[in-house]
Amino acid sequence: MTVATAPGHDLSLCLPDLKSKKKDAALAEMVLAASGAGLVSGAGLLLETLKLRERLGTTGLGKGVALPTARSLTIVHPRILVARSTRGIDWQASDRAPVHLVLLTLAPAGWSDDAYHALLGRAAASARLQRTRQKLLSAPSVQGLALAFREAMG
Amino acid sequence: MTAMESIALLGDIDAMIREAQSPASRVRLKKLGLEIDGLPRLLAARARLADGIDPRWTFSYERTRQRYGRGIAAVRDRVCSGCFVTLPTTARPRDGDSPSPQHCESCGRILYWI
Repeated sequence: MTVATAPGHDLSLCLPDLKSKKKDAALAEMVLAASGAGLVSGAGLLLETLKLRERLGTTGLGKGVALPTARSLTIVHPRILVARSTRGIDWQASDRAPVHLVLLTLAPAGWSDDAYHALLGRAAASARLQRTRQKLLSAPSVQGLALAFREAMG
Repeated sequence: MTAMESIALLGDIDAMIREAQSPASRVRLKKLGLEIDGLPRLLAARARLADGIDPRWTFSYERTRQRYGRGIAAVRDRVCSGCFVTLPTTARPRDGDSPSPQHCESCGRILYWI
């Protein structure tokens, strides 16, 4: 099983400026992008799963980063989508800081806990260092963001 | 939401609940900074969803879930992701609102075509 995968080549998986100001709308925007890239078979269902995950506990990690995640039947290909919000989104993070960087982590339902947590770990690690967060936030274009994220993922 | 979509969502919720109830998973998720303190809210949402689904679907789902841990499996390239058996060529995706679910002939899980 391949553990995915920075969106280095698929620019549709990088959203350099989310239009949405609210968490649910931002999730919908990202799910639409995932669906457009063929990663998802049922966009509406995935959005419901993501919203329910947020009810289990916020995925705001603090320091302006959120890691929304789903392991769902609707997911065809595992992937991490990276998105930025210039304005910032209220994600109910523990430090109450608005979220500027969102790493949507998607895994198919059949993945084991180990594989799923490894993917989540890679996503979280990519934004742990202030230096790499800054690179992701300041990349001037969608290509730059994809490159910065690929570097951050190692 | 069709019966098929509701059952698929139930499958996703059950995976989250299992993960949130596993001590090892809780430790790992906490290390990553992910909170999972809302299990009662998720259980309530599950109960509400299950109440709204046709009992023929939920009965079938619960029976296979008790047996295998997961009551529903994605079908990709005609292969059941639960047991990895190739489905017969006569098997086709059904309308999500059909009166009863479609099962894998090998493992019995409800099939979700992707």
